[in-house]
Amino acid sequence: MPKSLKEFFDASPELRIVVYAGKGGLGKTTASAATAYWFSKRGKKPLCFSTDPQASLSDIFERDIFGKGVIEVAPSLYVVEIDADKRIAEFQEEVRAKIRELYKIEKIPDEIDEYIRTAAAEPAMHESATYDAMAELLAKGEYDIYIFDMPPFGHGVRMISMAQILDAWIDKMEETRRKAAEYEEAVARLKGLSAKTEDEVLVELREIRRKLDFFRESLTNPKTCAFFMVIIPEKMAILDTERALEMFDKLGIKLSGIIVNQIYPPSLLENPNISTFLKNRIEMQQKYMKVIWEKFEEYIRALVPMFDREPKGLDMIAKVAEHMFERPWEVDVI
Amino acid sequence: MPKWFKRERKEEKREEEGGVKKEVKEAVKGVFYGMASHGMVRYMLKTRMYLEHLFMLITLGDMLGFPILPPYYSLKLLPYAIPHIKTWKRSLFRERDVTDLLY
Repeated sequence: MPKSLKEFFDASPELRIVVYAGKGGLGKTTASAATAYWFSKRGKKPLCFSTDPQASLSDIFERDIFGKGVIEVAPSLYVVEIDADKRIAEFQEEVRAKIRELYKIEKIPDEIDEYIRTAAAEPAMHESATYDAMAELLAKGEYDIYIFDMPPFGHGVRMISMAQILDAWIDKMEETRRKAAEYEEAVARLKGLSAKTEDEVLVELREIRRKLDFFRESLTNPKTCAFFMVIIPEKMAILDTERALEMFDKLGIKLSGIIVNQIYPPSLLENPNISTFLKNRIEMQQKYMKVIWEKFEEYIRALVPMFDREPKGLDMIAKVAEHMFERPWEVDVI
Repeated sequence: MPKWFKRERKEEKREEEGGVKKEVKEAVKGVFYGMASHGMVRYMLKTRMYLEHLFMLITLGDMLGFPILPPYYSLKLLPYAIPHIKTWKRSLFRERDVTDLLY
């Protein structure tokens, strides 16, 4: 048997970040909520953070938490769901305020304001704003463990590669700024004037880089951050996981584990009156379970059954947590 | 003529002399600056302008349709770039001809 989820967490005392990634609709948010629940029951102070614009944590905890900041949904169980649109609007206002303050003007020039509005409409803006929110929460360090529910693949991890690219960019930009400053200084000296003060743009660039580096380091250090994938026993999910493993490899991240979700209990087959529909489904799943065990054995951390109800509300989350952590190899519903 | 009047006149004259001296000094300095380093300074300022424009293109390129930096970071840098935006756009869209090489 591979290491179970509980054994994994017990063996990583320095862990601060847990990330759930994978295709949409397979149970990332449920797994995140259950993990946060489990940590809160063990006397830790977890924060479950959803970056999903579809606001599913609100559904799971049956409370409207979208864009409302950090909320304690159960004793020492904290949850936050970022409203990216709201954050972007706040960010735009910050930029405008800065312009007003720098140039002592009341009205932003139309041309500039138009640019601020169009730039904020770009899709990449949502991602950046979400990651910024994530980095901000991490930097504050008010919680013992951060559980991130990433939006369906691709972007979740693309963030790390984006940080790498931006880092290279900022290097180049710093270089041009430095050269420009050198020329300016030389000119000032030749003209017999005193040298100029520090470049504010350079200060801002360094600040952006510091934030990105902190974020990237937090996510790529295997001691402090664990990446999990949630899959189901179906062909698509298996192919997706193979691709994801390649991607993780390229980014230099180690996948910490796989949670197989929505497994129909095979014990149902023992019932002679089972419907053909269910029988076919279970047999199909079992076929893919075999493939999953063959391909990803070292990564499998827990098996979670398909429930007869949607996993909603604290009671159901507690049940999912029980399956994930206490009986990881049983798929008969308790 | 009372004594105090004479003294004041003298002081006035001295001041005048100082002013002329200063002017001459400035003029000589200007001539030397023009002969020795003006060309260099101009060249440097031009290079500095190019660097500034390059930087603007990288950061605010999407203003003109070159999306290079993610907009989130562009907006962060926008406030500092405002004074240069007009000249930057003008220089980028300006038509170029042979006389550009002369200046």
